[in-house]
Amino acid sequence: MFVQKTLTRNPKAELYYDLVELFSGFLLVGFLWTHMLFVATILLGSELFNNLSAGLDKYYLSYVGIPFIILVAFMHIFTAGRRVPTRYQEQKIIWRHAKMLKGTDTWVWVFQVITGVSIFMLGAIHVWVVVSGWPIQAMTSAERMHAFWWFYIILLILGEYHAGFGIYRQFVKWGWFPRKPIGYISKLITVIILSLGIAALFVFYTMAKGGGIV
Amino acid sequence: MSKRKLTFSIFRYKPQEPDAKPHMQTYQLEEEMGMTIFVALGRIREDQDPSLMFDFVCRAAICGSCAMIINGKPKLACKTLTRDLPSTITLMPLPVFKLIGDLSVDTGTWFRHMSLKTESWVHTSKKFDPKAIEEKMDNETALEIYEAERCVECGCCIAGCATANIREDFLGAAGINRVGRFMVDPRDERTGDDYFEVIGSDEGTFGCMALMACDDNCPMQLPLQMQLAFVRRKIAQAGLKAKTKVVTL
Amino acid sequence: MSAYTTHITDVLVVGAGLAGERAAIESASQGLDVIILSLVPPRRSHSTAAQGGMQASLGNSAMGKGDNTDVHFADTVKGSDWGCEQDVARIFVETAPLAVRQMSMWGVPWNRIVAGKKTLPDGRDIEDTKDKEGLITARDFGGTAKWRTCYTSDGAGHTLQYAMDSVVIKLGITVHDRTEAIALIHDGETCKGVVARCLRTGELRIYLAKSTVIATGGYGRLYGASTNAVINEGSGMSVAMNTGIVPLGNMEAVQFHPTGMVPVWILITEGARGDGGYLLDKNNYRFMPDYEPKKKELASRDVVSRRMIQHIRKGFGVDSPYGPHLWLDIRHLGAKHINTNLREIANICKNFNGIDPVNALIPVRPTQHYSMGGVRTNKDGYVYGLKGLFALGEAACWDLHGFNRLGGNSLAETIVSGMVVGKKIAEYTLGASLDYNYSQVMGFVKQQEERIKNLIAGKQGKENIYTIRREMEQTLMDYVGIFRNGPDLQKAVDKLQELYRRSLKIGLHSDGKWANPELATALRLPGMLKLALCISYGALNRTESRGSHAREDYPKRDDANWLKRTLAYWNEGSDLPTLKYEPVTITESPPGDRGYGESSASSAGDKK
Ligand SMILES: Cc1cc2nc3c(=O)[nH]c(=O)nc-3n(C[C@H](O)[C@H](O)[C@H](O)COP(=O)(O)OP(=O)(O)OC[C@H]3O[C@@H](n4cnc5c(N)ncnc54)[C@H](O)[C@@H]3O)c2cc1C
Ligand code: HEM
Ligand code: HEM
Ligand code: SF4
Ligand code: F3S
Ligand code: FES
Repeated sequence: MFVQKTLTRNPKAELYYDLVELFSGFLLVGFLWTHMLFVATILLGSELFNNLSAGLDKYYLSYVGIPFIILVAFMHIFTAGRRVPTRYQEQKIIWRHAKMLKGTDTWVWVFQVITGVSIFMLGAIHVWVVVSGWPIQAMTSAERMHAFWWFYIILLILGEYHAGFGIYRQFVKWGWFPRKPIGYISKLITVIILSLGIAALFVFYTMAKGGGIV
Repeated sequence: MSKRKLTFSIFRYKPQEPDAKPHMQTYQLEEEMGMTIFVALGRIREDQDPSLMFDFVCRAAICGSCAMIINGKPKLACKTLTRDLPSTITLMPLPVFKLIGDLSVDTGTWFRHMSLKTESWVHTSKKFDPKAIEEKMDNETALEIYEAERCVECGCCIAGCATANIREDFLGAAGINRVGRFMVDPRDERTGDDYFEVIGSDEGTFGCMALMACDDNCPMQLPLQMQLAFVRRKIAQAGLKAKTKVVTL
Repeated sequence: MSAYTTHITDVLVVGAGLAGERAAIESASQGLDVIILSLVPPRRSHSTAAQGGMQASLGNSAMGKGDNTDVHFADTVKGSDWGCEQDVARIFVETAPLAVRQMSMWGVPWNRIVAGKKTLPDGRDIEDTKDKEGLITARDFGGTAKWRTCYTSDGAGHTLQYAMDSVVIKLGITVHDRTEAIALIHDGETCKGVVARCLRTGELRIYLAKSTVIATGGYGRLYGASTNAVINEGSGMSVAMNTGIVPLGNMEAVQFHPTGMVPVWILITEGARGDGGYLLDKNNYRFMPDYEPKKKELASRDVVSRRMIQHIRKGFGVDSPYGPHLWLDIRHLGAKHINTNLREIANICKNFNGIDPVNALIPVRPTQHYSMGGVRTNKDGYVYGLKGLFALGEAACWDLHGFNRLGGNSLAETIVSGMVVGKKIAEYTLGASLDYNYSQVMGFVKQQEERIKNLIAGKQGKENIYTIRREMEQTLMDYVGIFRNGPDLQKAVDKLQELYRRSLKIGLHSDGKWANPELATALRLPGMLKLALCISYGALNRTESRGSHAREDYPKRDDANWLKRTLAYWNEGSDLPTLKYEPVTITESPPGDRGYGESSASSAGDKK
C-alpha cells in the first residue's frame, strides 16, 4: 500500500462503479429496446408514429427523457468504459489472448468494447441530428433514413449487438440465471428487435422514395 | 489401426539463461493407446530431451500441478488424452504465472499470495477444546462448502481470464470462489464487512467482467459462474450496508 | 556464509504434506521459528490425493455404534499382524478423535450424519438417530470392526491438506517450495540441518536448524506400477540413511492396494468397497466371499490383494494387453451415490479410462500403494542415531502400521503424529541451541557441489538414468511384489546391486544447468536404489510371512523367531545394507489370530 493511495481511497468506490454500471446498463438497454419498439410503430402506420411522438412530447417525456438518457449514457461510458484496456501493451495482450484461447465470451467482450466505442460516436451524431430536427415526424425521419440508410444499418447492428450481449453479461455477472438459457433468450430478443428495426428502416426508406406523403 | 505420428510443438525458454530467446521446439512421437500428455512428455524427456521442464505430481487430475495451454486451451495435461487432439499438439506454459522454465510455471507462489490476500482460513474466536465433541453442522452445508473447496489451484481459470492477464492484482475466479467457500461456512465468523474489505474491489469481485473463460476451462468443473455471481451479490449487499471507514488524519 | 544462501531457523521441516505441516504448526504456535521445505507447493503434496478418509473412533454413525479407542486399537494391531508398536498404537487411537475434531474446527467440511432409515447395498437396514444428526459421519473401510473412517465425499486428503495449509498460512510460517533436501548436515551425533537444491534455479542452499524433521512421504515410485504421485521417490528416507547412522525400519513391509485401475494405476479408493462395491472375476462372479466369508471385500488390504492374485493365478483373471485383471463393480450403488460420494472416482474412470462406473465395470489389479517402513523413530518421533532429527508421516517408521496399514489410518497417523511428535519437537527445540562448525557445514555442501559437477561432466561414466530407473522398477515389480520367495528375492538383490553400482557411474545427457530435471533425478537415483535394496534384502532375510510380506516358501507367521523389526543401515562404500533387528513392543495384545486372511498364526495359508 502507498500512503497517497491509502489516504484517498474510498473503499466503496468500486462497488458504486459496478452498481452504476449495472443500473445504467439496464436503463440503456431498456431505453434502446423501447426506442426500437417506438420506431417500429411506423410499421403500423405513420399516423400512430406521429401521435406517439406528439404524445411523448406533450408529457415532457422527450424533454426530460432525452437529457436523462444522455446522462445515463455518460454514467455508463464512465463506469463500463473504465474496463477498456487503454495502454498499448494491454491492448496487445487482450488481442493475443483472445486469439489464442478462442474463448467465446472473451471475444464477445472484445466486440462489446469495439461496438461500445463505435456507438458512442455514431449515437452522438444520430442524437444530434434527431434533436436538432425537432419535432420527430414520420416524414422527416423517412428522409433522413433514405439518405443515410447505411448509417442506420450500422448503428442498428452495433447497438443491438452491444445491448443484447450487454444484458446477457449482466445476467451472467449477477447470476440470476445460468449462462446457457440467458444466452438463448438475449439472442432471441436481439434478433426480434433487429428484425423490427430493419423492417421499420425498410418502411421509412420506401416511404421517402415513393414520396408517399401521408 | 495404424499408430499416428504426433508432432509436439513445445515452448522452450529458460529465463536464467543470459542470451536465450523464447522459441518453439518440435518433437515427433508415436502415439500409444490411452496416451496422455503426461505420458507423452515423459517419453520426450526420457528418450529425446532430458532438459525439458514441466510439472506433474499426482498424474491423476487431483493436485493441480500440470496445467498448461494445450492447443490454445488451459488444461490439466495429465488428464488430456492425445486421442482427443489433432496430430499436431502445441504446448505453452500458463500465462500470468511466473515462468520457471519451458512449461513449468510458479502457480504455488501466486496461490499462496491469493490465500493470504483473501485470508483463506476459518476465522473463529473459539478455542479448541480437546474434551468436547465436534459442533454439529448440516450435511447439506458441508457438501456446499466442499463444492467450492474442490478447487485444486491449477490456475486454468486465471490463465484463461483476460482480466487477470492485464491486471496483475486481480484475484481471479479461484480467489473469488475461495471467498465464497468461506462465506457459506458457518464456522467462519467474518461478517459481510470483513469479506467486503477483502474482496469488495476491482482486485476482487468487481474486477470480474464475466468473460467466463474460467467457467469454460475449470478442470474440476466448479460452477464458477454461479459462484462468482453469488459472491458479487453478497459482497454488494454487504458493501451497501457497511460503514465506510474513511481514513482521516 | 560464502557463496551459498544460508537460512537459520529453530525448526526445519522437510516435507509439506499433512505430517510436516501439522508438526510445523505445533512448533510455530509455541513461538518457534519454522521453515518448511517442499518439492512442490504444500497443497500439491501427495496427501491431497488421499480420497477415502481418516480413521477415528467417534462412534457417531449407526454402524459405528459402540466404537471406542480399544476397538480401534485392536483393529490396528490385527491389521499390522502384530508388527506394530503397541504403545504407539495406543497413543494414536486416543488422539485420532481429537485430530478429526480439530481439523473440523480448522475447516474440513467432513460429511455429516443425516438422520433416517437406510438400506445398505447388502440388504441390512440401519437407522441414524435424530440426536446424532449433524455430527461427523463415517464410512466402512477394510479390516475395521466398526464404521470409523471420517470423510469428505472422496476428497478427504484434499480438504485436510487445504485446511492444514490454511493454518500454516495464517500463522505466517515460511515455506520454501520447489526446494529439495539432498543431504543432511550432521557431526555424527547431532543433526544440524540440510543441504538443499532449489528447483527453480538449481542453486544449492544451506539450512541450519536446532531440529530437523523428515516428513517426506513414501517411496511408491520405486515400483513401476504405483498409485503414488511421481514425486514419491523416498528421497527423505535415503537422505537420512546416507548418514550411515540412521536406520530404516521394516523396509520390506510394502503395501499393495487391491484396486489400482488398469492400466494407469490410479487409485480407486477403498471407499468404493466400503460403500458396497464388489470384486468380480472374468465370469462376473463375486469371488471374495469364498475366500473371506466374514469380511469379504473388506478384509485388510494385504489379504484382499493376495486373494485377488490367487484368484488370477487360478485362471479367473480378465485378460488385457496389460496383463490379467479383475473387475470392481459399483454399478449397484446408483448414479446419485456415485456422483456425489464417489465423484472423484467417477471422474477418474471417465478421464483416464473413458468409462462411466455408473454402468461399466472398473478394471483393477493390486498396485503398490504405501510404505509401512521408513526412518525409524522412537515413540516420541526421535530418529535413531542422530539427535535433533525427527521423522513422521509415511516417511517414518514410528511403527503404527507394522506389516500392514489399515486404510484410513495413514491420514490419521500424519495428523496425530504431527500433534504428538510435533509437541516433542517443540519441547526439544526450546531446550536446544544451535552450534555448528563452519568448515564441517561447508564440507557437506562441497560434497554435493562435487557430485553435481561430476554428473554434468560425466566424469564417473555415461550411464543413463532412465534406463537404470526402468530396470529398477521392473525388478521390484517382478521379484518383490505381493507374493515373494527366496530365489526371486535373491535375483532382485543381485540385479539391484548391479544397478546400484551402475548408478554411481551416471553421466548426464543434457547440460544439467539451472533447475535441470535430469540432474534432479540423477541426484536421487542412487538413493532410490539403496531403498530398493533395503526392501529386497530385508524381504529375503525375513523368512516368515507377516502382513503384506508374504513368502511362498515361508507361508506362516513365525512369532517365535520373527516378532521383531528389521533395521537397515547403510555403511559408506557398501553396496548392501546391514540388517539388525529389534523386538516389537507388545503392551496389551499378544500375537493371535487376525480373524481374516490365511489365519495367520496357525495354518500354512493356501499356497496353490
Ligand atoms: C492415491 C492414494 C490415496 C490414499 N488414500 C488414503 C486414504 O484414503 N486414507 C488414508 O489414511 N491414507 C491414504 N493414503 C495414504 C496417505 O495419503 C499418505 O500416506 C499420507 O498422506 C502421507 O503424508 P505425508 O505427510 O507423510 O507425506 P506426503 O503428503 O507425501 O508429503 C511429502 C512432502 O515431502 C516433500 N518432500 C519429499 N521429498 C522431499 C525432499 N527431498 N526435500 C524437500 N521436500 C520433500 C514433498 O514435497 C511433500 O510436500 C493414500 C495414498 C495414496 C497414494
Ligand atoms: C456510448 C458508448 C458506449 C461505450 C463506450 C460502451 C462501452 C461498454 C463497455 C466497455 C462495456 C463492458 C463493460 C464490462 O466489461 O463489464 C459495456 C457494457 C455494457 N453496455 Fe455499453 N457502451 C456504450 C453504450 C452503450 C449503450 C448505448 C448501451 C445500451 C443500449 C449499452 C449497454 C451496455 C450494457 C448493458 C453493458 C453490460 C454492463 C455490465 O456488464 O454491467 N452500452 N459497454
Ligand atoms: C436519445 C435520444 C434519441 C432519440 C430522440 C432518437 C430518436 C430516433 C428517431 C426519431 C428515429 C427514427 C429515424 C430518425 O428520425 O432518424 C431513430 C432511429 C434510430 N435510432 Fe434513435 N434516438 C435516440 C437515441 C439513439 C441511440 C442512443 C441509439 C443507439 C444506440 C439509437 C439508434 C437508432 C437506430 C439504430 C435507429 C434506426 C432504427 C431502424 O433501423 O429502424 N438512437 N431514433
Ligand atoms: S477454480 Fe477451477 S480452474 Fe480455477 S484454479 Fe480452481 S480448479 Fe483450477
Ligand atoms: S474469466 Fe475472468 S473476468 Fe470473471 S468470469 Fe472468469 S474471472
Ligand atoms: S499432475 Fe496432478 S493434476 Fe495433473
